[in-house]
Amino acid sequence: MADETAVPEAPPQDSRSEAMAYVIGVAGWIVPGLGHALLKMWGRAAMCFLTVGMLVILGAEMRGNLFDSAARDAFDSLGYLADLGTGTFYLLAKSVETNGADVSHAGGDYGTRFLATAGVLNLLAALHAYEAARGRKA
Amino acid sequence: MNAEMGIKLGHLQSMLLFALLISIAFGFLSRRRQIDRVKYIVWSLFLFLLIGVGIGWAMYPFSY
Repeated sequence: MADETAVPEAPPQDSRSEAMAYVIGVAGWIVPGLGHALLKMWGRAAMCFLTVGMLVILGAEMRGNLFDSAARDAFDSLGYLADLGTGTFYLLAKSVETNGADVSHAGGDYGTRFLATAGVLNLLAALHAYEAARGRKA
Repeated sequence: MNAEMGIKLGHLQSMLLFALLISIAFGFLSRRRQIDRVKYIVWSLFLFLLIGVGIGWAMYPFSY
């Protein structure tokens, strides 16, 4: 008689689709919208790419503070993590913001928020793509 | 846009742009049907602006 309390082994297909979901999540983080594009969710992919891209370019053009790994306090570290959320767009922001940050006026301060929000928004979109790949309602 | 100085936006312009972009992203991520997305974007944008202006007015007495 079979042991009814034994946990059945997950079929190999499940582990493969779980790995695929991770790949899609990471792809969505590295290039905004790529996760949704791999799932053929074209509208969401385009909107993620455009909104995150616009927030990054506007934030950098407004000379917002783009944090780097040389954090001086916890807020700098959190800002760096948020900025890293934009994936490769972090490098785009670096290349746009050639004159460095200027938060001595309101525009620069808003730019800092734009950049951090772009990162957090992209992480949210990547998580959404991951969940959609796992078959959760999205 | 000035290449040296970057983009110069006022408080209201920045808030409008921010609210619009975030509302569009939220609308597309959280709703499937086009009509639901449009409704969500409009409602989210309205709330962003209402709360933003509301907090601004609430802070006004402490601005001196």
